[in-house]
Amino acid sequence: MTRGRLRLPPLDLPLLAAALSLVGVGLITVYSATSIPGAHHGLWVRQLAWAGIAFAVGWVVASVHYRAYDALAWPLYGVSLLLLVLVLVMGTSAMGARRWLDLGPLHFQPSELAKVATVLVLARRFDQEKLDLRRFAHWFPALVLVLVPFALVAKEPDLGTSLTFPVILVVMYFWAGMPLRQLALGLSPVLNAALFLLTGTVWWSAGLVVALLALVRPRLSTLLVVLALNAGVGYALPHVWNHLHDYQKRRIETFLNPGSDPYRAGYQVIQSRIAIGSGGFVGTGYLRGTQKALAFLPMRHTDFIFSVVGEEFGLVGTAAVVLLFGLLILRGLRLALVARSGFASLLAVGVVTALFYHVMVNVLMTIGWAPVTGLPLPLISYGGTALVANGIQIGLLQNVALRRAEF
Amino acid sequence: MLPSKQLRDRRLPAYHVVAGAVLAGFGIVLAGLVFLQLFRGQHYAELARENRVRPEVLRAPRGAIYDRNGELLADSAPCFGIVFQPFPAESTERVRETASLDWLARVAALIGVDSAEVRRQVELANRTGQSAVLLREAPFAVRAAVEELRVELPGIEVQVEPLRNYPHGSLAAHLLGYAGEINRAELDTLEAAGYRSGDLIGRTGVERRYEDHLRGRDGVEYVVVNARGRRVSTLSESGARLPEPGQDLTLTLDLKVQRALEEAMADVARGAAVALDPRDGGILALVSRPAYDPNEFSHGLSRARWRELSGGGANPLLNRAIQGVYPPGSTFKIVTMSAALLHGLARPDTRLAPCGGGMYYGGRRFACWEHRGHGSLDLIGALQHSCDVYFYQLGLRLGLADLGQTARAFGLGARTGVDLPQEARGLIPNAAYYDRRWGAGRWRSGLLLNLAIGQGELLLTPLQMALVAAEAANQGRPLRPHLVARVGRDRIFRPERPVQPGFAADPAIWGPVREAMELAVSAGTGGAARVPGVRVAGKTGTAQNPHGEDHALFVCFAPVDSPVVAVAVVVENAGHGGSVAAPRAGALLRRMFLPDSRQARVRRGAVADTAQAAAPDSEVVEGD
Repeated sequence: MTRGRLRLPPLDLPLLAAALSLVGVGLITVYSATSIPGAHHGLWVRQLAWAGIAFAVGWVVASVHYRAYDALAWPLYGVSLLLLVLVLVMGTSAMGARRWLDLGPLHFQPSELAKVATVLVLARRFDQEKLDLRRFAHWFPALVLVLVPFALVAKEPDLGTSLTFPVILVVMYFWAGMPLRQLALGLSPVLNAALFLLTGTVWWSAGLVVALLALVRPRLSTLLVVLALNAGVGYALPHVWNHLHDYQKRRIETFLNPGSDPYRAGYQVIQSRIAIGSGGFVGTGYLRGTQKALAFLPMRHTDFIFSVVGEEFGLVGTAAVVLLFGLLILRGLRLALVARSGFASLLAVGVVTALFYHVMVNVLMTIGWAPVTGLPLPLISYGGTALVANGIQIGLLQNVALRRAEF
Repeated sequence: MLPSKQLRDRRLPAYHVVAGAVLAGFGIVLAGLVFLQLFRGQHYAELARENRVRPEVLRAPRGAIYDRNGELLADSAPCFGIVFQPFPAESTERVRETASLDWLARVAALIGVDSAEVRRQVELANRTGQSAVLLREAPFAVRAAVEELRVELPGIEVQVEPLRNYPHGSLAAHLLGYAGEINRAELDTLEAAGYRSGDLIGRTGVERRYEDHLRGRDGVEYVVVNARGRRVSTLSESGARLPEPGQDLTLTLDLKVQRALEEAMADVARGAAVALDPRDGGILALVSRPAYDPNEFSHGLSRARWRELSGGGANPLLNRAIQGVYPPGSTFKIVTMSAALLHGLARPDTRLAPCGGGMYYGGRRFACWEHRGHGSLDLIGALQHSCDVYFYQLGLRLGLADLGQTARAFGLGARTGVDLPQEARGLIPNAAYYDRRWGAGRWRSGLLLNLAIGQGELLLTPLQMALVAAEAANQGRPLRPHLVARVGRDRIFRPERPVQPGFAADPAIWGPVREAMELAVSAGTGGAARVPGVRVAGKTGTAQNPHGEDHALFVCFAPVDSPVVAVAVVVENAGHGGSVAAPRAGALLRRMFLPDSRQARVRRGAVADTAQAAAPDSEVVEGD
């Protein structure tokens, strides 16, 4: 089998084009967001430099055969956990959280590496002939592999980023063959807890569990385990909750939803909504946004950059960005579909999931439909390490694309 | 058929599910954007045109503090301050105006504040976007002037701020503590916990210990302001939140008892007194002298006044009742006696070598405060008359380990765990302590003689002394001294488990201790604490102090048959426990147990009483 006979393009060009366009949008928006008096001028130059570095890194990542990553999965995973511990011990803190390692001129965020390493290690584990994720011995180790980085990142505390890990796991479980019904049962205690925290009663959760069990009709042993888990959560959570002091409840609330402080984060969201909403259909025009000019749009070149897009380019601009992300992610998913090996396919799914999660959480945050968690918008937000990490992710997807014709 | 085709077909169902989820996700995002930018676009464009939305804090009132009968001890009263609201808006022009010397001078003159200070605050506000308080507690004339000139001086407004108010002034000041405006260093560490500049924060006492309960949670509303900085309307947008008031606290403190104890201690320059309920460890009253008025902190202190309060010799901010440590003197003989009974080294009728005014040990003479000697006494008589020679001998029989163990069982040498910050431990020395201090084996058992009569290295807080009396009162049952009885309207606050192990409730131990303490008041050194018709048990103490005059001490509980109060009084550098400390405890007990109608009569009688009781004391030096 040769490449010529398959006539497949070596690179996934639509994916590359989408990624480069998004970086372009990011550059011009960073320029606009920082063009006001008193802001950090010239950040766009640094962002351009970082884009160059990210492109080069992505190129290198794409050119090495993914077999090498398969072999390196465990060491990489180990190193990333070590760095996560290191960040808790001696990380640089900002806004009450330790997320960065200070490496002289650059700040390095180990959770970015951990995301990629976790995807690699899961892909390696799930790429087995006799894998049967219905069996405890097969799915449980993967859960542990994911919970460790999850807990370490949550401890920083960075709930938004830490949730990437379980989200990746769920999608990769499914991709590797875990039946949907089993996933639903397994997730039910988590949903149960979330529902309780949202609604304040256990009745919703109870209804959900009963409906789920009626729908799935699991074996008796599974049924009992699921019921016990849910009952445990349903009993313990309100019990514990009611015995907490008000200030302890508040701390948990702030952890789950850092934006619940209405004076800071809540205000940011209001400003962000005003910026996006006022953009209307075509926007106020490039460099003519007023919200960002008044410095009332906080973190306008990082976490809230999408608001600047919304204000200056209107629905036309935001829809274009969303469609570009859609193109990027669906192309990535297609690569998972056509990839030649199980490892490559799983790798693509994991990477795509992480990207999708970040886009959703960030954009929904700027329109006030998701909590303020401080996740950047991939490829667009200002920030060197995040951009390089995105470069690596795109490089991995291209890697899969380059070798989809091989055995 | 290519193998890749098979792979592909096998993955296809999963692909459809995941791709469907991705499409649904982007669908939601697009729907949100269409809603925000098309349907609500007009509304937001209007808001953005002048960018007039500003968050305004709705301050949560701090919880009030009540005594056990619901008498108010601390609350928050509204007060009017002058604030500067920074311009959210449009004009760099307006910001420039506020930086002009003319504007600053006018504002400064209007409200009577130094113009450099106004400038500092305004610059800060313009930078952070948060309002700055220029003047707290503005007098009516200033408020009126500001209201009148609002149009000319945009940004300057009158705002209601809560002010901490302690209606009884310095009463129970050390126990309540005070709340002051948060400072910059505190803000740096506490900003994540939701504190903002201008917030009150508890600094000492109950205000600090229960800060998390008292504080409540500020609310916020988003107001729309016009170009001149005046409110037009409130934004109905999501995100507004009502303030949650802080929770009220109900203390175990009894205002009547506290008043009586304050009066009894009114002329004390330095000292402390504590009254405990021996049934549950609730603190009924706590006084530390000298005192201060916590209201001073609400109004803002000058630097000089702060130095005066926090430092200096007297240090009024120090809560001597829990932070001051004193040698317990003869009051400690209660512990020594209990130890002897517990370890079976003496019985109530055990007679030791008679007291001839002193004894020799290790080549050194140890004197009894009664130079003429007490003669032959049994254990009960020894405590009643506070015979040092008898207790020297008991100490030698007991040894360091047993005496220390009993003291620790009373809860001495460790924090009692009272719910107040910065409690001192005190000191019950053990062999390791002396080894450290003098070197292993380089100290002699002679120090036991001093420990047995409450001298030497022993150190107790007045609260620990009251704890000894309270535990003697209830047969050695351990207690956790505590202050808060209820949080909010109905949450009962159970005291935590006592720290100390306590004792077995053996009447063979506690009967004689109580009998001897009662005799010490009815026919011994503590006569000044007598109350007609009420059986009082107590013990005087006079603690030698290398830095000056002796400290006067007294501990007691009453009534003997069913005790409801245990008291400790310490008066620094004032002389004898029997003549200086005991009368103050007596005054408190009479106020508590005698009806008002009998107060005056008894007070007159009490003078004679005291004079009588003090007479034998005044001729002699109690203690070693």
